[in-house]
Amino acid sequence: MTTAAARKHGSFRLNVVSRKAETLFHVILGVFALACIIPFIFVVIISFSSEESIRQVGYSFSPAAWSLDAYNQVFNLGDALWRSYFNSFLITIVGTVASVAMCVLYAYPLYRKDYRLRGFFSFLSFFTMIFGGGLIPTYIICKNLLGMSNNYAALIVPMLVSPFNIIIMRTFFQTSVPFDLIEAATIDGSGEYTTLVRIILPIVKPGIATIALLTALGYWNEWFLCLLYVTDRKLYPLQYLLMEMQRNAEFLARNSSMIGASGASAISSLPSQTMRMAVVVFIVLPIACAYPFFQRFVVAGLTIGSVKG
Amino acid sequence: MKKFLSLILAAVMLLTLVPAMAESPVEITMLLEGCNVTDDAAVLEKLNAYLGEKIGVTLKPVWGTWGNFDDLAQNAVNTGSSEYDIMFTCSWTKNEYAPYAKKGAYVRLDDPEDNLLNEYGAELKTVLPDLLFEGAMTEGPDGEKGIYAVPGFKDFATMNTWDVNVTLLEKYGYTLEDVVKAGFYGWGDIFAKVKAGEEAEGKVFYPFVFEGAVVERYVDGTPIVTGDSSGLLSYYMNTEDVSVPGAYGNVIFNKFATPEFEKFARQMREYYLAGYIDPAIAIGETATDTWRNAQNTASYLISSEVSLYGYEYTTSEARGIQVAYVMTTDAPYIDNTSVQGAMMAISANSAHPVEAMKFLNLLNTDPFVMTLLNYGIEGVHYTLNAEGEVEFNADARAAYSPWTNGLGNVTLLPPQKGQGADFQKRFAEFYAGSKKLPIYGFTFDGKAVETEIAAVANIKDAYALSLFTGAVDVDTALPELLSKLEGAGMQKIVDEANAQLKAFLGE
Repeated sequence: MTTAAARKHGSFRLNVVSRKAETLFHVILGVFALACIIPFIFVVIISFSSEESIRQVGYSFSPAAWSLDAYNQVFNLGDALWRSYFNSFLITIVGTVASVAMCVLYAYPLYRKDYRLRGFFSFLSFFTMIFGGGLIPTYIICKNLLGMSNNYAALIVPMLVSPFNIIIMRTFFQTSVPFDLIEAATIDGSGEYTTLVRIILPIVKPGIATIALLTALGYWNEWFLCLLYVTDRKLYPLQYLLMEMQRNAEFLARNSSMIGASGASAISSLPSQTMRMAVVVFIVLPIACAYPFFQRFVVAGLTIGSVKG
Repeated sequence: MKKFLSLILAAVMLLTLVPAMAESPVEITMLLEGCNVTDDAAVLEKLNAYLGEKIGVTLKPVWGTWGNFDDLAQNAVNTGSSEYDIMFTCSWTKNEYAPYAKKGAYVRLDDPEDNLLNEYGAELKTVLPDLLFEGAMTEGPDGEKGIYAVPGFKDFATMNTWDVNVTLLEKYGYTLEDVVKAGFYGWGDIFAKVKAGEEAEGKVFYPFVFEGAVVERYVDGTPIVTGDSSGLLSYYMNTEDVSVPGAYGNVIFNKFATPEFEKFARQMREYYLAGYIDPAIAIGETATDTWRNAQNTASYLISSEVSLYGYEYTTSEARGIQVAYVMTTDAPYIDNTSVQGAMMAISANSAHPVEAMKFLNLLNTDPFVMTLLNYGIEGVHYTLNAEGEVEFNADARAAYSPWTNGLGNVTLLPPQKGQGADFQKRFAEFYAGSKKLPIYGFTFDGKAVETEIAAVANIKDAYALSLFTGAVDVDTALPELLSKLEGAGMQKIVDEANAQLKAFLGE
């Protein structure tokens, strides 16, 4: 039997697991992928259902009637919506760039074996991973001491440094950048900054992309900082706009008998359930669109530095 | 020498600043609850011009929403922040009036040493009914009782009512009288006839739609025992005359262990099995939506509502049917929960308690300030019709709707469309006729039995709603619940509550 024929029959393949195992893996990964995507598809379907249908049959994959009402309502938010969209983008972009820069600049010296205070600074960042100050002291420091109240800084600065990302980045430096490279660069007359920017950074691009993605996701989904420090509606990110609708609805449901009749009118003026789902779609779309651009680097990050077959 | 000179210069500079500071108005920040305000610029401009001239104050409201108020207030109180001069407070959200006052978060307004209320709130004291101040008495950090907030003059008595769809009732030849006479235990026939009739028209119809979590209060006449936030305790009032003790006297019971409760639960079960109750009402997540939706779409016969004076008009109009409210007690009753329903406290960390008090005084006595802050600007947010009633401009109102009851004296407001010119007078008179419960003023303090309450509350949550709505078999679920409650220390809580009540009444 020739190799070509064997290949055709699938009995002779290089570097692959058996058909059975491969099928099994595909099924497992397929199920996992479905588990991730189905809730989102469900949200999209609900956002296109009519309120009436939800009242009758509840949330359903096949609603009794379709409707664009929810999206009309969302667009009717007008300025509030676009303003929040703008805020979300601003916070995410500025936050991610600043945070990644800090992370790289912190992780790089930690990787340099010739840096004397390496142990101390490693400990400093690692320590905060295990022991936090707690909510109230953090709140006092941010709000009263640093004046982060009702401004963009309050939405960006508290999340700027992530010890977890620093450790990922340091490990990435260690596994992908041989120290000899730095020595070689030094001998060739490259200064520290040139070495970092022109030699090291291009190598660790996949690592940077990975933490940039993690950070961007973190900023995009953040609403708790806004709850703590911001009461000015002009600064609300989109995620908090949604959260506020949700929390208002929950509060009124829980306390309706206490608020009495005025609660009834408050409930009826709440955004409908379908509208809240439509806002979710608005939130997910941009970040979902950003994924493919990062994916290339993330996949590269998985394979780089290991022994390749 | 240089140092000395610069010191003098600095002193001179400060001196020139002093008169300027005294003249510019003081900014008062006020944290509110339940507001939906996106554009307040025009209102504030007008309001602050008036306030500045009148009392030398400008207002900066922070429009808290139902969703974020608890956290904003909690953070401010826990961190001792001075960012809010005035804070909304009440007895029913997570953010309770009594604990915060006890913690020292609020200024005592009737402090014998520095009585802000007498000094700057004299008009306020004459306008608000005395019983509101009485209800606002609570223990401060020093253990002495005092007034720690200005109570809101609103529907301060509780009116538990059955909300009856009279239009539908009359369609089937019944009158409101029939519903009242039959009472909760005798509605079976009416439900059967209406359900059959409506379903013959080809729709799914549940005649009895109510708020499951509290409907038992309506049937058994058990008001909220203040401080019992998990809803475990029952006090039986005299529904014929709420101001005197009922058949049991002033005793507190395990809510689920009385014969009255069992009778109620069995009746609910009967209605449930007969198909008069929407199963969605027995599920926590959908209960409120289902109840409100049925009301708003007028697809119910009898429902439950904590009503207020003149509410028939609003709901009849909105639902396009004739709505009637049948009170379950002889008069609206006054308990701590209703009196402390919406109040304004001055933060203990405020730098301007005097100005804050002056502002609260004006807010509760000056119709111009109250109306402007609440309804907005005439001609922009609303117009007055020929009868002097307010008609809202929907668009402007959507961007500016504070929570009316959460602001202050609602009797200063002009009537809304359809209420009639003398509405506020009738409103005040109506509530003047409400009666105090015999245990009015009592607050259960669960500190001593905290562990038991936590354990018991979890068990209760698993059973209560399905028992209240008839979704489970009483014969199996009720004994199961009772034995579990017993095991978790329910009796200890009841004993503690009764001991506290005895001590309270003995005083």
